[in-house]
Amino acid sequence: MTQIFSPAADTWLRLFLVTSLALTAGGAVMIVGVARSDYVTSVDFRPSQPVPFSHRHHAGELGIDCRYCHSSVENGPHAGLPPTKTCMTCHSQIWTNASMLAPVRESLAENKPIVWTRVARLPDYVFFRHDVHIAKGVGCETCHGRIDEMALTYRAKAFTMQFCLDCHRDPAPNLRPADVVTAMGWKPQGDARATGDSIIAHQNIRVGELTHCYVCHR
Amino acid sequence: MPQRSPSQNTTERPQLWSSIEELSGDPSFEAWVNAEFPAAIELPPTARRQFLKLMGASFALAGLTACEKSPFVAALPYVDQPVDDNPGVPRYYATAVTLEGYAQPVIATTYAGRPTKLDGNPDHPVTQGRSDIFMQAAVLGLYDPDRAQSPTRRGDPVTWKDVAGHFREQRANWSKTQGEGLRLLMEPTTSTTLLRQIDALLAEFPRTRVHTFEVVGRTIRHRLTRAAYGRSLDLHYALDKCEVVVSFDDDFLGPGPDQVRNARTWAAARRRHAYEPGVRLFVAEPVPSATGAVAAERLATDASRMSIVAESLAARLGVAGASTMEVRDPERYWIEAAAPALKASSGRNVVACGGCCDANTALWVARINEVLKSPGQTLNFTAPLEGPASAGTLADLIADMRAGQVDTLIGIGANPAYATPVSLGFADALGKVREAIYVGLEQDETGDRCEWQLPLTHSLESWSDARAVDGTATIIQPAVAPFYDVRSVHQIFAMLLGEIDPSPDGAVRETWRTAFGDQFDAHWSQALRDGFIAGAAPFVTGMSVRQELLPQMGAHAGSTDFDIVFHPDPTVWDGRFANVGWLQELPKPLTTLTWGNVVSVSPSLARHLKLSNGDLVEVAIGDRHIEGPIWVMPGQAANTVALSLGYGRTRAGRVGDNLGYNAFEVIPADGAGVIKGTLRKTGARENLAITQLHHRMEGFDFVREVSPSHPTLPEPSSEPSLYPPWPSAKNAWGMVIDLDSCIGCNACVVACTAENNVPVVGKEQVEAGREMHWLRIARYYTGDVEAPRSFFQPVPCMQCEQAPCEMGCPVHATTHSPEGVNQMVYNRCIGTRTCSSFCPYKVRRFNFYDYRAPEDSPLHAADNPDVTVRSRGVMEKCTYCTQRIEAAHAAADKNNRAIRDGEVVTACQGACPTKAITFGDINDPQSEVSRLRRDGRHYVLLEEQGTRPRTTYLARWRDSEEEQG
Repeated sequence: MTQIFSPAADTWLRLFLVTSLALTAGGAVMIVGVARSDYVTSVDFRPSQPVPFSHRHHAGELGIDCRYCHSSVENGPHAGLPPTKTCMTCHSQIWTNASMLAPVRESLAENKPIVWTRVARLPDYVFFRHDVHIAKGVGCETCHGRIDEMALTYRAKAFTMQFCLDCHRDPAPNLRPADVVTAMGWKPQGDARATGDSIIAHQNIRVGELTHCYVCHR
Repeated sequence: MPQRSPSQNTTERPQLWSSIEELSGDPSFEAWVNAEFPAAIELPPTARRQFLKLMGASFALAGLTACEKSPFVAALPYVDQPVDDNPGVPRYYATAVTLEGYAQPVIATTYAGRPTKLDGNPDHPVTQGRSDIFMQAAVLGLYDPDRAQSPTRRGDPVTWKDVAGHFREQRANWSKTQGEGLRLLMEPTTSTTLLRQIDALLAEFPRTRVHTFEVVGRTIRHRLTRAAYGRSLDLHYALDKCEVVVSFDDDFLGPGPDQVRNARTWAAARRRHAYEPGVRLFVAEPVPSATGAVAAERLATDASRMSIVAESLAARLGVAGASTMEVRDPERYWIEAAAPALKASSGRNVVACGGCCDANTALWVARINEVLKSPGQTLNFTAPLEGPASAGTLADLIADMRAGQVDTLIGIGANPAYATPVSLGFADALGKVREAIYVGLEQDETGDRCEWQLPLTHSLESWSDARAVDGTATIIQPAVAPFYDVRSVHQIFAMLLGEIDPSPDGAVRETWRTAFGDQFDAHWSQALRDGFIAGAAPFVTGMSVRQELLPQMGAHAGSTDFDIVFHPDPTVWDGRFANVGWLQELPKPLTTLTWGNVVSVSPSLARHLKLSNGDLVEVAIGDRHIEGPIWVMPGQAANTVALSLGYGRTRAGRVGDNLGYNAFEVIPADGAGVIKGTLRKTGARENLAITQLHHRMEGFDFVREVSPSHPTLPEPSSEPSLYPPWPSAKNAWGMVIDLDSCIGCNACVVACTAENNVPVVGKEQVEAGREMHWLRIARYYTGDVEAPRSFFQPVPCMQCEQAPCEMGCPVHATTHSPEGVNQMVYNRCIGTRTCSSFCPYKVRRFNFYDYRAPEDSPLHAADNPDVTVRSRGVMEKCTYCTQRIEAAHAAADKNNRAIRDGEVVTACQGACPTKAITFGDINDPQSEVSRLRRDGRHYVLLEEQGTRPRTTYLARWRDSEEEQG
């Protein structure tokens, strides 16, 4: 009677088991990795814009406050993009003929909005509010990165649910006093956690209540 | 408020039933519930091969759903941003929508310039922030994709310049003939500007005539006041000053322009004392109504016997000239209950009549009121607000049309080719008119037959004005610029008066410039800000009741025919709301019918003629007849058959066409409230989309009652639970619903639909038990089927502290928040529907299909941007309006303070005309909701389940002490 299994069969079986395990595990790692990759989360990608607006120049070198253009950041859910008129407050006086600014002048003349490409974007089922974050001491930089160093604007942080939740679970390290909310490159003097804890106490931040679903989804 | 005492432990548990079949213990009903339980509806069998194909395709395509076109989308800022306009922050405008020409004052919530929600104006003297279904649903009418969108002539598009040019040509002719042959047809209006423009037109062309028509509404009341007082009058009941109210078929708590005011004052009176109900209501009516449902004593009596009962009551109260008539036992019992109550409360009571009542009933009611000293105290009169005063009737117009005397007919809204008695023959007479011009919101049955169709703006796009039921004027301002190439009625009249391109607000400003005088600008902006101009119509006094009686309806006395009565439909009214999906899908009070109308008959008549729900019958009146499905209505008078108007439309639009029967076919042309007719069973049947048996709870004492002698219920028990308690955050949200105040009007349901983007699913889906309303008004009966008592119970999600649904979900798609809200996470839901089967209250709704409107539909603009629009395959339910809670949190957190009591108002609470719903923080012992939870009437629905709901109820007051059935 011949043998059903060859002498190598056992090896093949073991090899098969090990390979399939490795593939499963590797696949899982790869899926998670891809999902969090800069490619999927669109981090560090500079979409083309009608005007190559430089935050580095305006916010960094000239030192214009974020709220000069993003004027509704303290009053509503959206920070707001500046209307063409805001651009023209300065550019009706300086660089009035720059070819780079032609779309801005066109927008004003034709009363048609400038079609920007949105960089910081959340899914429709996330109901984020800028105003309450600003009021409680979450700096612009915390989510948007060093805007003052961006020649062309890009997404500095991956807006994953984990990114949001990390801070909602433990906001202390990410809080700053109200007067430096829009400051770039601000570092707490001394212990960040101690500073954050005192802000939590002072601002009555509802730590522990901020992680349930309806806070952001509804 | 009576606090609980342990000794009082009398629980009154009425034996509740929800349908006739259930009451009769019909075994086939039991089988139907088991076999055809709506959630398990049998769908057409899908072949196995087809099933595998679909499943294979679904799996293959499932991966693609992760693909996104691009993570980067366009962002469009303003060119010139309006001051104070913050993206995502709603703006509010005080304006009004109209019902029957009366203003319903609203605050319109707009996001980025588009209205999404209407609520009552809290400062308005009449509504005080309360609302009704028509007000709540008006916003959907704005986005109706079937609206007329540009002017047409014989179906071909024309421009407004053509229209103005044509009017100029015509004006040259009219000035020669002084307007001979020019007729206007409209429903009565309260708009000062429109009345001024009509007067201007009549002054310019004196031989022009205006005709008005109205089949439902004021006409009936004016017919009755003319009979009683010799002139047309508007009646105003001061229900909040009343201790006893008697109504002869006056459904003053039912739908209509007066509902909000009456419901508000009635509820205030009802809550006057903590130890007993503050007002008692006695109703005699042939067909059950909202008013009858909350009455202490309700008499079901035929329309033709109304004047007999009224005269007997008058005789019992010692009214001169009244003689005691021969009455039946239930009638005598009712009179014996009502008469002493009226006598004991002289000056603090009122007797009302309406609906099917005849002239003599009105006369007796007026005399009773005089004896009881009601006029001037609880009953006030004003001259009719609406005009034009010199208007002719529709019948005159039709006679002239037939005689060929009408060259140009301008119809202004209200769809006369549909919404007038067919026996008058308006639609046919229209063919004899040389040129017919129709000015309307929709291209409806009338627009279809007219040469010119001129589309109107919706109220929310218009500059106009109107008066509320008390005469307070509102300047209607647009909440959004018109979407289509449409004009307001004032612009069209300005064109008739010779202007070429009138501005939208010019005519309205001109009217009020005269009224405001020197300080126009200040008054104008104040009026727009407030939403009304203070000053009600002055009361008319010194009214004398006519003394001579009119001949009885003797002609019909011996007839064996049935009394046929007509009602406007409670949700689509006279058909004008037929294309509003929210109103079509709204279960009508008492019948819980959706998407159609029925012929309602009494249980005894149904037994006699062997009729059951859904049997088609032919109703014949004279030589005209219609065919409709039967509804056996518990509590309807034996010999009365009720028809409802508003259905059978053919040009309403995609939503409202070809539903139900058209009762205008048989309605009497003379406006009489009741007519004799016959009934014949055809043998055919029709499926009715009835919701009363959907979402049934297992249990027995859903609705509880207390009475003045036993004003408290036992304290809700706190049985130990195996589940650990949830740690509570600072706020713990809770809701209390007062069943004594609920009149079943459905305003809360429409408000919830508007606020939470609840989809409309259509007739077939409702028949399958798949309606999506997050809040249902359950309707129960107790007692005898011929004279039952009715109960309404709004049932939203109970937000259980120990929620069975949360235990059931395999993927944690429903979780518990620290504030006690049972959260639904759509993105996690995989659609097992386990939660729904675990829910003892049956408040969860499943998206069996993708019920969203097509991508290019304007209806998307009505969606609330603060609430996710759900897709196919996910469960949803009441969230306690979590978007409003979170908005309040954000506002409070920004200012570093706690949320104040009353700061969070849920949509249902905000809409309720009787303030039956209270919402707030139960951790705060001072809050209104905590106060109500300590009330002696407080109880928990299905308490034995141990779910510890956060939504609880206050028991209904039983007015009489004696036990029933």
